[in-house]
Amino acid sequence: MSAMSLRSLNLPGVGTKYEFETDKGDTVAIFFTKTGTIQMYTLQKGCHTPSAAEMTPVEARRLGNILTGAIIEADQESVEIAFSALADLRVTIHSFLIPKTIAGRTIEDLQIRAKTGATVIAVCRHDRNIVNPPPAFVFETGDAALVIGESDQIKMFEREIMVD
Amino acid sequence: MEGIVLALFVCLLLALITKYLSVPAIPFYILAGVLLGKAGLGLVTSDVISRFFSDMGLIFLLFFMGLGLKPERIAANRSAVLTSGIIDLNVNMLIGFFGAYMLGFSITESLIVASAFYISSTAMAITSLIENRKLMLREAETVIWLMVFEDLILIIFLAIISAGNQNLIVFLAKILGVLAFLYALAHYGKEFLISILDRDDELPIIFTFAAVLTTASFSMYLGVPETMMVIALGVAFATTDPDAFEQHARPFKDVFLVVFFVFFGVTIDFSGGVNWYMITIICLLAIVSKLISGLLTGLFIHRSALSGLEIWGNTIGRGEFSIAIAVLYGSPLVGTTIAAMVIVTSIIGSFTAKYSTSLKRGIMHLGRKKSPSHRVHPGR
Repeated sequence: MSAMSLRSLNLPGVGTKYEFETDKGDTVAIFFTKTGTIQMYTLQKGCHTPSAAEMTPVEARRLGNILTGAIIEADQESVEIAFSALADLRVTIHSFLIPKTIAGRTIEDLQIRAKTGATVIAVCRHDRNIVNPPPAFVFETGDAALVIGESDQIKMFEREIMVD
Repeated sequence: MEGIVLALFVCLLLALITKYLSVPAIPFYILAGVLLGKAGLGLVTSDVISRFFSDMGLIFLLFFMGLGLKPERIAANRSAVLTSGIIDLNVNMLIGFFGAYMLGFSITESLIVASAFYISSTAMAITSLIENRKLMLREAETVIWLMVFEDLILIIFLAIISAGNQNLIVFLAKILGVLAFLYALAHYGKEFLISILDRDDELPIIFTFAAVLTTASFSMYLGVPETMMVIALGVAFATTDPDAFEQHARPFKDVFLVVFFVFFGVTIDFSGGVNWYMITIICLLAIVSKLISGLLTGLFIHRSALSGLEIWGNTIGRGEFSIAIAVLYGSPLVGTTIAAMVIVTSIIGSFTAKYSTSLKRGIMHLGRKKSPSHRVHPGR
């Protein structure tokens, strides 16, 4: 990966600006404004007028997830975080909708850790979040599970557990 | 007391409407004040309470300005700030001063009109850059730094004019002393300040309010005007956690500043007669002189007159600081003139900021129509 030059700049009264030029010569600029909104501008090479989109923080995060290339479906999303300081450690966090087939079973009994290496770190049930569910936790249909692991482990989870 | 309630209620309606139409609210607050006050229906008069609220509005406006002035950041961008800033200062101060002087103002009054004439509204310029999605334009940065430079000039102006008959050197030494003291306080008390600001309860907001008021009230003992005191406090606090201070001071600023604008309108008095001729000339000059400084800045910094138009479009509006100057130092006649200038320029400015892109496109289009005939000549 070539080192792209990302410039960040503090603009008094406005907020923070991030700007970089792509290999093809297009420019992308992002502004985190003090009003709390995020504005994204793109300027095609050779053009003079940029086009802009204004986003709420939630929308911006969603866009970020899409750009990391990890969104699969609208209600199942995943984020990959790379820690360049830790030997390029990449951790993926993925949300899964629990299917009927594993409803009623516990984390322990599904042998999630042993079979896949991935860990269930949170479950969302009826708009409430259960963080760090215990091994005896029983899944229900409609639950959304948040699973963390390396991308291979997440793929394994999808193959082994979700179709169980 | 009923006066304030009525005025605030009208301003609430105006805020709703202007936000919906995305035009600046300041001119309409002043107009509402004029309509409700002495010059209009006479429903609202200023009293002790409204004057206290207005004072608070001014104090918090200046405290906010101090918070945004980060000296080290300005030093890092010196060249960007200086060129445009000096053009803007010279062109507008000179045109403002001589314009006012020719119209019959005294030298002191002309200086005050010129300062109000020079200083564009930071709030309007920045809101218009964000709302009209112009942040990425190269002119946007120029406009933003221009506003910072104007704030610095305003501080120098406030210092000079409020020194009055005092020895200027003694007076400046006093201000620097206050600033050094507040800096030391912010520096050595940084951890304590941050521990207070981090709390979730009512403490941070009480602390911010009390700190600003206490500092302002000390001005009486030191002979340094409260305007200088609160700006210095803002600059000193900006070295700790300026975002937190902004967040806690914002509610006070927002409410009191509305009262400040509306009661500025209320106290405007037309009984001495209004010189519409004079007001029209000043308003026209205010628009034209920013066009000249904008074009020069565009040519000098971006090598393009079109950039100059863009800068002009976003800096026409005069606002909060012009009114502050009028309130602090203006005679009734100066006040009325500045009020009219703020109302006219801010309304026109909101349109030029919104439509500057179409304006530039129109001019480019005209230029393109002409260009084929130009190209014919070398070919012959």
